[in-house]
Amino acid sequence: MTRGVGMDVDVTQGNDPLIYPQETPASLTERVCVATLRPDGGMWAPMWWWMCLGVALLLVGMGAVSVAWLFYAGLGIWGIDWPVAWGFDILNYVWWIAIASGGTFISALFFLLRAPWRTSLNRLAESLTLCAALCAAIFPILHLGRPQFFYWLFPYPNTMGLWAQFRSPLVWDFFAILAYVTCSILFWYFGLLPDLATLRDRAQRRWQQVFYGVLALGFRGSARQWRHYGPVYGVLAALMAPLVVSVHSIVGMDFAGGAATGWHSTEFPPFFVFGAALSGFAIVLLVLLPLRPALGLEPYVTDRHVDVLGRLLLTSSLCVAYAYVMDVFSTFYGPDQADRTMFAFRLHGLYAPVYWGTIILNIVFPQLLWWRAIRLNPAVVWPICLGVLVGMWLERFQIIVTSLAHTQLVSAWGQYTPTVWEWSLLCGTIGLFLTAFLLLVRFIPMLAMAEMRAMLGDGP
Amino acid sequence: MIVAAFATESAMHDAAAELRRVPGCAVETYGATQPQEEGAWSILPLVMLGGGMMGGLGGFGMQAYATTISYPLDIGGRPDFSWPSYIPATFELAVLGAVLAGIFGYFITMRLPCLYDPVDDAVAMRDVMAGGHVVVACTGDMSGVREILARHDPLSIEVVGS
Repeated sequence: MTRGVGMDVDVTQGNDPLIYPQETPASLTERVCVATLRPDGGMWAPMWWWMCLGVALLLVGMGAVSVAWLFYAGLGIWGIDWPVAWGFDILNYVWWIAIASGGTFISALFFLLRAPWRTSLNRLAESLTLCAALCAAIFPILHLGRPQFFYWLFPYPNTMGLWAQFRSPLVWDFFAILAYVTCSILFWYFGLLPDLATLRDRAQRRWQQVFYGVLALGFRGSARQWRHYGPVYGVLAALMAPLVVSVHSIVGMDFAGGAATGWHSTEFPPFFVFGAALSGFAIVLLVLLPLRPALGLEPYVTDRHVDVLGRLLLTSSLCVAYAYVMDVFSTFYGPDQADRTMFAFRLHGLYAPVYWGTIILNIVFPQLLWWRAIRLNPAVVWPICLGVLVGMWLERFQIIVTSLAHTQLVSAWGQYTPTVWEWSLLCGTIGLFLTAFLLLVRFIPMLAMAEMRAMLGDGP
Repeated sequence: MIVAAFATESAMHDAAAELRRVPGCAVETYGATQPQEEGAWSILPLVMLGGGMMGGLGGFGMQAYATTISYPLDIGGRPDFSWPSYIPATFELAVLGAVLAGIFGYFITMRLPCLYDPVDDAVAMRDVMAGGHVVVACTGDMSGVREILARHDPLSIEVVGS
């Protein structure tokens, strides 16, 4: 197809190929279809898949109990109170939505940049985006206190004369998340159409033929279908790239628009975009490293892909380091004594381990990725990625909790301790993320077959 | 209709090009990747531009109406028509409108979903999305078309439908 990605690059040549030289379009199709359709019968899914699903469902159960108790008892079961009225719910929302960004950066931004390595990763990355966005969307609704009235967020004609306050970043956030989640699902599904058609045509079992046939909607690969497909996909990518930047800028403005200490800064929109890129690339690499051997993707996801992702992780870590430095600079260069007091509290106070953990996990450890040998060593890269995700969570904690706990008025200082219900809800969303992703891994091809066939060219 | 499968994309295009010169013969090609076509053009990017403009203008209008006519709020003494604050939601709704217009415009233009088409009855169609190359010709002159297809070394030729 003329999506352009890699069309002018021989991806199977060189010392470090993007695809192993012996691979052909036919072998690619065969390998991916066998992994998804499992025509040989046998176990419905590999043992590792069942084990991971079992753990994920246990976590989902924990989250379900937590939500049920929340609906019964109300927000009082959480540790949030005055002055820390935003706790785990908002920080987990921001954390998950940042994780979701990685897929969009890879699938849309690097599509526009014509990066050929992106083709092997975009389906996996976009699938991770969907699962993370699903988890993110849960928290603001639960935080409402009366989640059954979530539709009040929509600006709709009503008898109460109620309109959203359009000058508030919190309202911008609603539109941003609505657009981002909707567009991400549609972009993912549109890119999947040709592969669903392939699975439909290769399926042996009746239920698979019906399942993939309905999802493929009748895509048959006619010249007319392809002629319009390429331009639409290209424009979608061109829209998704600025969309993901706008979403994280608006999330940053949720905080910058508030007068709380440590928040009221024009630096926040790019700060949040950098953080989103860092956690997004970390989750892709974290999942890719074990999934590559598990699904037998080595011929198509080579060391070069791991190397590129490691470089991106390092680059985004350096961007985040710049944001942290500017945060310190603007605090101590600025006129606000309360900001400086709060920052000293971050460095030495009750939550100091959170701040220093953020620095170590997001900035210090990723510097190991300067060395290629380390970038290609999964035993080192995997803990770095896990550390980055934990570090980004700690960053959200220190932005939200330490700022609210140490405001301008000394009489309003307080502290926040999450309860077991908040921890169990976080575990529940991790389980939900894993469950959704495992189901996608099982039923959806994790390689974009149509795009990769175009890269491999016309062959047997 | 006559359905012919070919081993290579170039053979398929050569056969299709020759068939298009036959009067009254409707020709369509099928393949697993997008064919390289000179001068291929799609109206859907323009449809997406229209959808984006509708989404953006609709979003801006909704905010302007709400804050100046329906429910003006005094926020820190700012004017009711404080348009810079409308921009984020306007942008998000413009993107949403463009994406919806593109996806659903594609479905409408391609008449999808279409879960059955007479061409599906051809055995050769089962390999299209796995790397096959197929030409489908609808014509009254079956023997003439079959003769043209045969000149391009097809893997198979089938007659399906009425």
